[in-house]
Amino acid sequence: MTTIEKPVPVVNPWAKPFWDAANKEKLVFQHCKGCDKNIFYPRIACPECFSDDLEWIEASGKGRVYTYTVVESNAPSAFVGDMPYVIAIVKLEEGVQFLSNIVGCDPHSVVCEMPVEVVFERLNDAFTLPKFTPMQG
Amino acid sequence: MGKNAKRAAFIGIGEVPTGRFPETAAIYHAIESAKLAIRDAGIDKDEIDYVMPTASLYSPAFNTELVTCRIVEELGLKNVNKNCQVFAGGSSSSCALQLASSLIETGKAKTVLFVHADRLGTGVTAQGGIDLFSTAGISAEWEVPFGQHYSAIAALATNRYKFETGCTDEELSAVCVSNRKWARLNPNAFFNKKDITIEEVMASKMLSTPLRAKQSNMLFDGGGAFVLTSAERAPDLCPRPVYILGEGGTVTHFVYSQEPDVSRFGWAKAGKKAFEEAGLTPKDMDVAEIYDSYPIYQMIGLEELGFCERGEAGKLFVSGDTWPGGRLPCTTNGGMLSQGHTGAGGAVALLIEAVRQLMGKAGDRQVRDARFAVETATGGTYMDAQVTVLGTEIP
Repeated sequence: MTTIEKPVPVVNPWAKPFWDAANKEKLVFQHCKGCDKNIFYPRIACPECFSDDLEWIEASGKGRVYTYTVVESNAPSAFVGDMPYVIAIVKLEEGVQFLSNIVGCDPHSVVCEMPVEVVFERLNDAFTLPKFTPMQG
Repeated sequence: MGKNAKRAAFIGIGEVPTGRFPETAAIYHAIESAKLAIRDAGIDKDEIDYVMPTASLYSPAFNTELVTCRIVEELGLKNVNKNCQVFAGGSSSSCALQLASSLIETGKAKTVLFVHADRLGTGVTAQGGIDLFSTAGISAEWEVPFGQHYSAIAALATNRYKFETGCTDEELSAVCVSNRKWARLNPNAFFNKKDITIEEVMASKMLSTPLRAKQSNMLFDGGGAFVLTSAERAPDLCPRPVYILGEGGTVTHFVYSQEPDVSRFGWAKAGKKAFEEAGLTPKDMDVAEIYDSYPIYQMIGLEELGFCERGEAGKLFVSGDTWPGGRLPCTTNGGMLSQGHTGAGGAVALLIEAVRQLMGKAGDRQVRDARFAVETATGGTYMDAQVTVLGTEIP
């Protein structure tokens, strides 16, 4: 069986700082100086107050599992070899939410509201994906 | 007639069986459904002045034919002013209905033909279907790289809902049992040969926890169509026209992780608007055709629309309240779980079924004296909530 390459993020120019930071193992999101709202995913203007005055800030990397699932069969072709793998929506301390994978633990140990922290997994030469792992201690 | 007098009404419906038809071209499903709908309306085909196909997902080439007036020519419709595709994924039926009725209300169209056809059962491979539904409507930047796909999306909603309400896997499986009982009475349903039990559902293959194979819709070929005209004109053409009484909708997300509440979505707001516009309540409904691509959505839909308290929907499916003969007939064609999922056609079939029940044409599964029905639709990764209230009279 031929290995199917993993899909890489199709990056919008205004989100490039996010992926550049991920390559340096930093998790960043946008912050609106107009209304103080934290923003993810990256936008061209604040989705709350429509201001252009956005800055990038580094996340604590800590959050909770809002919801999760363990993929055991019928995965997309490029992910068949990864099964079982965990897909989760993680809510960061700063209030923004990501879809990612929970790694570094028994997939079946993941539960809602579990505390997690960011880890970085290199996808290829160009991309590093932020993933999450159960918080230690 | 009351405030809704200018609204549109259904005068005809048509549908071909849902299934696997490797020898049948997709255009057949479109034009046969359309032919049945026009004959059901009892009008001359040349009264159709507006054709509104929705999109087919299996083939861009076939979809282009739908866009470029093939239906009009195949049926020989002589007085069509516009052939205009309306597509909103799984919400296409609701969005097209609102647009078509608006055209009729404003006099821009007199008689609208809506058509859906697709070949997701035989036009794509099984893995091709999985791969289509791991990219279509899923963010290529923020979710595809993490292995997201539609079973996982439903599972994410299910786990959060279970966490918040204590809903059990047995209750989720009971949705499949209920829908199968209805499908048994539906000649157009793919799964109409035998009942299914909670035990059989729970013994099926695990897809993405806690979602199992028999809790997943399956993709098939199929088609459906309906004809709309003005509420004033409808009674002269149709013995039992079905009026559009209320509509409500809300869009909540594109990227699934941005949905504010994956155990509720936007149904409460959309339902409130639809019922208020109709001047009716859930208690007035004789039939509830609730979108069911996976059990979780049918449960959340019933609860958020106000048919029961949060966390209580599962009991209705277990007890038989939602089954044939029950007090709350729900998703009476068998839904996407048992009639089968045909892409945008999943909710087209539900809308047609709501009209069929109200017209009194539902055969063995006819809900007696059905006067009012509610129908729901949602597209993409449950990006929106669309609710339609229909009736045989304008209250």
